[in-house]
Amino acid sequence: MMTIRNLDFFGFLFVFLASILGIGTYYYLRNRQRELYPYGKWEELLKRLAPLDHQNLERIAADPAAQPDQDIHWVETMRPEDIWRLLGGMRGIEIMERNCSVLVDLVFYVQQWYPEALLIAEQLRLNAREVEWHIGRLKATAKSGRPPAAAAEYLQQAVAIYYQMTREVLALYEQANLPGLADLQRAL
Amino acid sequence: MHLSGAVFAFWAAGLTAHILLLFVLLTRHHASTFPAFTTLIAANVLNSIVLYEVALHGSNHTYFVAYFAFAVLDLVLQLSVTYELARHVFCPTGTWARDIRKGFLILVLASLAVAFALACLPSPPEKTVLGMLLDRGNLFSSALQCELFVGMVAFSSTANLPWKTHVARIAQGLGFYSLVGLLTEAGHNILTRNTTSFESLTYLRMSTYLFCASYWIVMLWLPAPAPQELPEAAQRQLFTLQRRVEYDLRKLRALKR
Repeated sequence: MMTIRNLDFFGFLFVFLASILGIGTYYYLRNRQRELYPYGKWEELLKRLAPLDHQNLERIAADPAAQPDQDIHWVETMRPEDIWRLLGGMRGIEIMERNCSVLVDLVFYVQQWYPEALLIAEQLRLNAREVEWHIGRLKATAKSGRPPAAAAEYLQQAVAIYYQMTREVLALYEQANLPGLADLQRAL
Repeated sequence: MHLSGAVFAFWAAGLTAHILLLFVLLTRHHASTFPAFTTLIAANVLNSIVLYEVALHGSNHTYFVAYFAFAVLDLVLQLSVTYELARHVFCPTGTWARDIRKGFLILVLASLAVAFALACLPSPPEKTVLGMLLDRGNLFSSALQCELFVGMVAFSSTANLPWKTHVARIAQGLGFYSLVGLLTEAGHNILTRNTTSFESLTYLRMSTYLFCASYWIVMLWLPAPAPQELPEAAQRQLFTLQRRVEYDLRKLRALKR
């Protein structure tokens, strides 16, 4: 006999089975995708790359304060508010953080033709960690109640490293004469 | 207790499959790699023989008690097999990754809670306490195994850890059997014992198990593909890296002194 309790049981069982099968299928398809495209899919990699104004990035990165070993006491440097505005505030920072991992994946993608690109991928991974570290400091400053612009030093360093990363990826694609170069130049 | 022709046929097929599987595990030297799985199969051989004897010479109650005792042993051994497979996948070098260990513990606790809730829900028609415990226990065991396998697949995929061929085959068999077992045990929990529909579900579960056992016999008999060797350049790179790490370590120790 079908009681209310048994109806509840079947409802719960249905949800349980749907979740188990759903999760199982998702990971199965993910693994299959990984087997078919061990280096990722070009279109998806490009889709993950969110747009940032690269002229503004270049301006921030070219600022004397972002140059290593530069004596900034005698030259004019950008104001923290300008850096903050040029990057597009917190949204721009988050995009930059996400793009860092895409840049690493873009170099990893090259390994299918040039295994020696592994060294560049590892270098970019280290750079990405450094960007993450600077952004972490910046977010901690914002959390403590001070305006994020107060941590302009971290922001400028993060932008400089990120900008350098984008140039390295473009240079690699250019030197290796890879087919996606034009798309990449548009995206970066 | 009288055994029907179909039950006897399933019993004989099950015993043969288990003996063959045990033979494969021992002769192909898998027993040392999968001790829990080998123990589970050996326990199933013993289970078939003892339950047959009790069914022929014992009372219905004695049969149920023996069946219950073996079901508990089976649950414990199946969970041990799951742990054994998890060890093969998540700590092939003998050390569990810290983040995986914590995640795995959470997975086990959550799976236990969900499986327990699922097993408590159905309200079976009149049944003996032992019968009810058995049906709920089987449902609990199948649900738990399903959850653990799916969780392990998800973890390994996230952590990029490969499933070696034989580990994957054992897991596939157990996972499939647990999934079918979940459906048949759900039916067992709301149906009256000794009815045609109840028996049909039992036969379905037994057929699935026989199918899985045959799959294991074939797959474990076949040798696993040999792992690819590292190219010479990669070996040289690893050697250099090892030397560098040793050198850095010596430098660090000297600094500490």
